[in-house]
Amino acid sequence: MIKNKQTLYSCLVVLVFGFSLFFVGTDGFTAYTAESARVTKLIEEKPKFPEVTLEDSEGRTYSISEFEDKYVFITFIYTGCTTVCIQLEQNMARVYEKVPSEYKGKEIVFLSISFDPTRDDPEMLDKYKDMFKSDGETWRMARIPNQNELDSLLEKFGVIVIPDGNGNFAHNAAFYLVDGKGTLVDVMDFSEIDEAASKVTNLIEANKGE
Amino acid sequence: MSQFIAGLLLLIALTIPPVATLMESVMIIHMHMQMPMLIIAGFFMGRFFLDRFPQFFEKYNQNGLPGILLFTIIMVYWMLPRTMDEALTVQSVEVFKFISLPFLAGVPLRDSWKKLNKVGKNNLITLFAVMFIGFGWLYIQSNAQLCNNYLVIDQIILGWGFITMAICMVIYLAYSLLVDPSQYE
Repeated sequence: MIKNKQTLYSCLVVLVFGFSLFFVGTDGFTAYTAESARVTKLIEEKPKFPEVTLEDSEGRTYSISEFEDKYVFITFIYTGCTTVCIQLEQNMARVYEKVPSEYKGKEIVFLSISFDPTRDDPEMLDKYKDMFKSDGETWRMARIPNQNELDSLLEKFGVIVIPDGNGNFAHNAAFYLVDGKGTLVDVMDFSEIDEAASKVTNLIEANKGE
Repeated sequence: MSQFIAGLLLLIALTIPPVATLMESVMIIHMHMQMPMLIIAGFFMGRFFLDRFPQFFEKYNQNGLPGILLFTIIMVYWMLPRTMDEALTVQSVEVFKFISLPFLAGVPLRDSWKKLNKVGKNNLITLFAVMFIGFGWLYIQSNAQLCNNYLVIDQIILGWGFITMAICMVIYLAYSLLVDPSQYE
């Protein structure tokens, strides 16, 4: 098939080039979508939760230091969403159920952050939280009223939100886990409920054992 | 030479930021118009390189296989969801797109295509038909957003674009297998 040596060499060169191109381009054949690359990078970088003011469904305002020394299990949503957010919050509710109740509120707080602050006022969030049986205390729903602060958080945590022009947003979804010092420690697949619940529980137990 | 200029002008036109941004704003135009046009630009410019360095192509791409291999690798690379996304967000990837598609896919295709015999050509088309069905299926069935910069609906449209192209290739293959043009001459 390959008759002369030069052709063989050039085939080899091309193959080596192709291999390196794909190796570099997919982080060693692990990340074929920008989303998986983003998650890998976030877990490596461990960004800090920025100083932003949250306003929750009861109208209370505070920063992330409200949850000092507690894990915070975070999702990013908007209440007008009819697709992935519902799935995301239902799955979050199932993780919430699976985490032993003695830890809730003491060792870990669940927090859903809205990226649509104009529509998701405390009243709206209050209605939305009831749909998922969130108690507003150990699982809170909050918005970040200041758009600049919101953008800084979204950027730090790699949440990409694209408005589609009809009041809806396309966005990526994941479970985020922030530790007691405000550092992002893990980004989890939101469809793996059992895995997320056991990971969180193990972390809390390991932390208590120290 | 005029072919080279035509190709170069096409490449320059595609590089103009407003043109590039416009084409990249729609997923299917990004993949099925901008990228093929970049390859076409390279295909035109290829004439110049073939005339200038005939020995190089004769020596290292004698039977056309290395060129086709390079072409295929570059094509597959740009069909990955991640590379499409990063072309929009990472400057160096965008630059690489405008260099690799014309010069590493368009130019080798021009040299290799004429060196392939009919069986070789049909094999290549078969390979691409199968790949397009595969990528089409990937983009259609995936409920998750594969590209952060595009909506899921764009992704489904792109998937059907792949399937449509694959169907065209299959029709061509069937035609070339079943119909003998010399009978009609």
